[in-house]
Amino acid sequence: MGDTELELSPARLEELQKSPSSSSTSTTSSLSLPSSPSSGPRPLTSSSPSASEGLPTSSPPLDVISEGVGEISLVIDTEVAKKACQEVLQKVKFLKTDGEASSPSSEPVLVNGTAHPEPADGGKPPKINEEEAEPVKNVRRRQKNNSSKQSWLLRLFESKLFDISMAISYLYNSKEPGVQAYIGNRLFSFRNEDVDFYLPQLLNMYIHMDEDVGDAIKPYVVHRCRQSINFSLQCAWLLGAYSSDMHISTQRHSRGTKLRKIILSDELKPSSQRIRREVPQPPLSCPPPLHHGQAVSEHSLSPSKRTHQRSKSDATVSISLSSNLKRTASNPKVETSQDEPVRLTPQREFIKSLMGIGKRLATLPTKEQKTQRLISELSLLNHKLPARVWLPTAAFDHHVVRVPHTQAVVLNSKDKAPYLIYVEVLECENFETSSVPVRIPETRIRSTRSVENLPDCGITPDQRASSFSTVPNYDNDDEAWSVDDIGELQVELPEIHTNSCDNISQFSVDSITSQESKEPIFIAAGDIRRRLSEQLAHTPTTFKRDPEDPSAVALKEPWQEKVRRIREGSPYGHLPNWRLLSVIVKCGDDLRQELLAYQVLKQLQIIWEQERVPLWIKPYKILVISSDSGMIEPVVNAVSIHQVKKQSQLSLLDYFRQEHGDYNTEEFLTAQRNFVQSCAGYCLICYLLQVKDRHNGNILLDSEGHIIHIDFGFILSSSPRNLGFETSAFKLTSEFVDVMGGLDGDMFNYYKMLMLQGLIAARKHMEKVIQIVEIMQQGSQLPCFHGSSTIRNLKERFHMNLTEEQLQVLVEQMVDGSMRSITTKLYDGFQYLTNGIM
Amino acid sequence: MAQTEKKAGLLRRTASSKKPLKEKVVLMYDEIFAKEDPTKNNPRFWDELFLMKVNLEYLEGKLEALDGDEVMKIKDNINSLFHHCVQALGEEHQIKVVNALQTLCALFRGVHQKNKSATGFDIINMLMGFDKAELRMKELMESLDSLLCGDGSESLKSLCLKLLLCLVTVTDNISQNTILEYVMINSIFEAILQILSDVSSRAQHGYDAVVLLALLVNYRKYESVNPYIVKLSIVDDEPTLDGLGMVIHHALTEYNRQYKDKEEENQGGFFSTLTSMVGSMFIADADEKLSVQTNEAILLALYEAVHLNRNFITVLAQSHPEIDIATTPATPVPASPTTPLGTTPPSLDMMNNPELPLDPNLQTSNLLITFLKYSSIIMQDTKDEHRLNSARLCLIILTCIAEDQYADAFLHDDNMNFRVNLHRMPMRHRKKAADKNIPSRPLVCAVLDLMVEFVVTHMMKEFPMDLYVRCVQIIHKLICYQKKCRIRMHYTWRDLWSALINLLKFLLSNETSLLSKHNIFQLALQVVNLFNMFITYGDTFLPTPSSYDELYYEIIRMHQVFDNLYCMVLRVSTNAGQWKEPASKVTHALVNVRAIINHFNPKIESYAAVNHISQLSEDQVLEVVRSNYDTLTLKLQDGLDQFERYSEQPREAGFFKELVRSISLNVRKNVSLSTMSQDVLLKEFSSIS
Repeated sequence: MGDTELELSPARLEELQKSPSSSSTSTTSSLSLPSSPSSGPRPLTSSSPSASEGLPTSSPPLDVISEGVGEISLVIDTEVAKKACQEVLQKVKFLKTDGEASSPSSEPVLVNGTAHPEPADGGKPPKINEEEAEPVKNVRRRQKNNSSKQSWLLRLFESKLFDISMAISYLYNSKEPGVQAYIGNRLFSFRNEDVDFYLPQLLNMYIHMDEDVGDAIKPYVVHRCRQSINFSLQCAWLLGAYSSDMHISTQRHSRGTKLRKIILSDELKPSSQRIRREVPQPPLSCPPPLHHGQAVSEHSLSPSKRTHQRSKSDATVSISLSSNLKRTASNPKVETSQDEPVRLTPQREFIKSLMGIGKRLATLPTKEQKTQRLISELSLLNHKLPARVWLPTAAFDHHVVRVPHTQAVVLNSKDKAPYLIYVEVLECENFETSSVPVRIPETRIRSTRSVENLPDCGITPDQRASSFSTVPNYDNDDEAWSVDDIGELQVELPEIHTNSCDNISQFSVDSITSQESKEPIFIAAGDIRRRLSEQLAHTPTTFKRDPEDPSAVALKEPWQEKVRRIREGSPYGHLPNWRLLSVIVKCGDDLRQELLAYQVLKQLQIIWEQERVPLWIKPYKILVISSDSGMIEPVVNAVSIHQVKKQSQLSLLDYFRQEHGDYNTEEFLTAQRNFVQSCAGYCLICYLLQVKDRHNGNILLDSEGHIIHIDFGFILSSSPRNLGFETSAFKLTSEFVDVMGGLDGDMFNYYKMLMLQGLIAARKHMEKVIQIVEIMQQGSQLPCFHGSSTIRNLKERFHMNLTEEQLQVLVEQMVDGSMRSITTKLYDGFQYLTNGIM
Repeated sequence: MAQTEKKAGLLRRTASSKKPLKEKVVLMYDEIFAKEDPTKNNPRFWDELFLMKVNLEYLEGKLEALDGDEVMKIKDNINSLFHHCVQALGEEHQIKVVNALQTLCALFRGVHQKNKSATGFDIINMLMGFDKAELRMKELMESLDSLLCGDGSESLKSLCLKLLLCLVTVTDNISQNTILEYVMINSIFEAILQILSDVSSRAQHGYDAVVLLALLVNYRKYESVNPYIVKLSIVDDEPTLDGLGMVIHHALTEYNRQYKDKEEENQGGFFSTLTSMVGSMFIADADEKLSVQTNEAILLALYEAVHLNRNFITVLAQSHPEIDIATTPATPVPASPTTPLGTTPPSLDMMNNPELPLDPNLQTSNLLITFLKYSSIIMQDTKDEHRLNSARLCLIILTCIAEDQYADAFLHDDNMNFRVNLHRMPMRHRKKAADKNIPSRPLVCAVLDLMVEFVVTHMMKEFPMDLYVRCVQIIHKLICYQKKCRIRMHYTWRDLWSALINLLKFLLSNETSLLSKHNIFQLALQVVNLFNMFITYGDTFLPTPSSYDELYYEIIRMHQVFDNLYCMVLRVSTNAGQWKEPASKVTHALVNVRAIINHFNPKIESYAAVNHISQLSEDQVLEVVRSNYDTLTLKLQDGLDQFERYSEQPREAGFFKELVRSISLNVRKNVSLSTMSQDVLLKEFSSIS
């Protein structure tokens, strides 16, 4: 086989990319691997022992993983997986060459059994006929072309262009166990982040599709779970959430539930750790895997070496469930990093506490009470921090050290109690292996030590003020009072000076009289008064505190400003790896649709970026924890248009002028462009996903002028209360048009052009979008999948059959329709009447 | 097995010996006081003794009845009794432990009551013997420590604490209690903290533990190194500090609740007799007055925690919604609270508890709010000495809080808004503000309200000068913080200004009577300097430009008070005398206020003349003020934003000594081991083989 044979023309590859789903039901490609389901996966599994020969440990065959629960001892290394893949491929190649020998592949390629011969010119395959294709005819053709088709498939699978999106697509569409098993193995070769994006799809397939798909996916999931606590928990949460639509009786015994139990029982530990436990000193002959090696060196660097020598009985003290999240204050020497049985527990407890707060807040009647309660609950939570817990929505590894509880706000919601918290974290290399930061008392920052003197991130437990249970060691601890200093207890310590003229010396009444001898300083009363009014005028526009809308003020504050302020007040603020994160905790809300919307938005964002269409959207991360709880990454520097209008009492355009300057200033023009680009992006989103319930409380405006749609509770086939409102394609009010410079302005034309470009680009990659939605429909009871035509309607909205000119007309029509739509206005009025949203 | 038989035999014998007039235990006591070694006739004397119910009165009486010579004769027996008591504490048999604890208590009390004049060393010698004292006390403290920290019976723990309270309070002046030296060496601090950190033990023993801690901290506070002070100052474990805060919180809440109940009870009568009884409603009825005395110890504990422990400040703002829920109207027995103290733990256990019973009208509270409410009640009436002391201590605590940066930060935190219902004294010229209308504001507003309230309500013949000074200092410290951090509170400063001006007016009109007792110039200077803060630094912390105008309006409106004050201080400072110096300081401090008055008054008069108005409205005056700022020059005064930091020693030492003495007396009176019913104990331990 020459290399040239393996090269595929990009055009064909594109076809291959698109084809699996378009050919989904009518035909299936089949590799000439042994095709009976029973023997299907065998070649794969039998290959693994040989592949793992290179590893020090003897590994049982791969398929043990899919069955075994108790004695899973094998870690599937990426290397192993790759080898397995290659072996399978090798075998397929052999078979293929046999096939080639018998029937030369001179026929036009039949990609994936599409009923139509590939036109040589590479034009678009006429999709219209696709559904009418007669299976009978195909069978013959398939048989005839099997081998050649496989060859193409193989080439595709091996080519660089075979990406995770295609893998997922084939996994979903292929009915062939061999292909599924192959792709299951192939997953190991993708980057973790790439696969993570499709984790909901993978797990949903695992739960709701047939055994073969499940068996193909499981080894990968198990492998990743062993590697990462975070992945384990994400899996467990998603498995729980996506199993919830099953009937209760089947749910209990379903694969998803079983896998979830295994993960949560924490049986999927990294096996390397076990090895290490057996051999306390890493033997020279067998160096541990790289990241553990790092961990060891890190630990040996840290001064708290004693941790390693702690006896087992010590370690077990902190194992009891309630104390897992407990920080180690009572015994600062306790390090949890070695306590394997509690690998997942701290984080689970943390999330559970946050959800518990949400549940209890929901029982309180007023926003004021909710806020007070929230603050007090969070301050209690603080007592258990720092701990080995993290925010799954963050992009970097970290440990949560503190929740600035007074900054938390209750968000506007009628009967639920979503709330937004800010979370101080310390970035670290790896939250699983890096040691948990040592607690610094709340009041420490204002203590004798000036900020510079505070020890850096390497504060050791020994340096902490000794806890009461130990005999205070005065010599080591400069915070503790030495015996002779006892007299100083009465004298409070000098404050940190912020301003030189504020130096607080011991005030003596003499200072006034002594001043008499000096040259007196005079000031004008007018200056004082003027400074007062100037300072008040110069503070950036803030929102007024409104007990009924406590979040408005908090959200309006610029993020950087907030970070600075919180950092100043935090005992951890001086640490260089200090970061501020925020998260919205939702309790009692199903975020699965939100997650779906996030995935679609993200995919479209990637597509538009790839196609260089300057549309702006802001997909915000969603963490589904169960079918009725989760977390959302808040959009920073953004407030809802409702809040803008209520607080400023201005029209949107006037608000833009207030915030960004007058029409021709650069700031205004930039903000206007941002507005247009985001508006176009979200109009397309709203149209494609049929996002409903678009009132001003669900549309945010950020400090740069972008709009951001939030709350995707009504998408695709669902709409609120079916009142028949919101029939227009998307929301485009005259206020929006005013900001864009009116109907005749250049910006408005730009807006329409952006929409057209965006739609064309989206259409080009439609399959990638459809795929995300389609897989999630499996076994789902979500309202967005209500009815049978959800996917068909979604596909139709991409208008594959229209020419670009026709598309342009369509966009014009949609814009026109939305503008003229009285229903948008009506809906706003309706929202104002029922929910008080302007 | 042998033991059970033995016990059975003993019990039988006890039963049979009931016939003679004296009970068996009394006979045994007599043996101890009989100079002979009691084990001579009965080698198992001590074993038997601790199996019998203690007769506290008899034992104490016996000890009291001894005179010096007799004591020396039976010293060995008493030493032996003490020794065996300590040994019995280690017994498995809990009845013995109980009896030993009670006997020890009787010993400590009896010996001290008799020997009021005796030196501490004599007492130690008599109880334990010089040579053995250190060892015995070490054993005793270790036994108590392990009993308190162990998993044993709660009644035993309670008894241990009572014994300790008894020991700590046997002398009027705690610092003269030499035995405590051993309690210093063999610290039980850790045991106290453990009680406070554990939810259930806190509920049952928290009050005693806190009182004990407050007293121990005050042992020879100023003379020597007290390890309890050192240890308390470095505690940083939140659950423990929180526990301490909860106990205090609960005790104060309980008082507030009782007060409110009482107030509501009296409400009916109140309205009917409104005219005659104004202001003296609660003062009149001395018997019904709630005892503040019992809270002195708690208040002292709060003070020590706030003053000594930097980390405790965070606890002040810690809300415990469950505390308010848990308040059951139980009978308040101060020494042994039977009410469950915060039965719901502030931990994950509580967080996991899905549904708490929540009252929609319930306000979240925290220790600081409760303390402010408590203070507002206490400050209503300062005639009684205990109340005056409590009010003073409240103000001292507030001073410490106002000086703490962290406390200031949360006092001024815009996100932490609370409704604080302060109690206001019913007064003729004002209506009682409806509770519901109080807006939700940052906590500093409540503190300022409380200070304003105090200033307004205590201009009386028995002028509480030092309380006023503290009060004005607290306001000053808060304003200094606001100035430094540029925090603009939306507070109705006008209330404060007019209260302060009225205070000056009161000082002026009572000059002669006040001057005989107090240095009124110091207070006047502080008040004038508060105005100077507003005048010269108003731009850094006033909420709006118009509030600065209002300040001027208020000064101009009340210019007569300032004029009179100036005349007075000028007069005093020109005369030679002890007040010359302080008075002249006030004259200098008044320079800007006088400049304002002298600048604007003519302008206002001419404005009136030009516009032919006899009486200018507020708006018109403000208009004049606004248009004439630019021609006014003020003098920048030095050190306005500086203050002397609070220090306990030497200024407050006397106060605390007296306070601790009062607490000691009160605790001693209320600690009664006999309240711990023997029946309960027997029932509890009867199942033990």
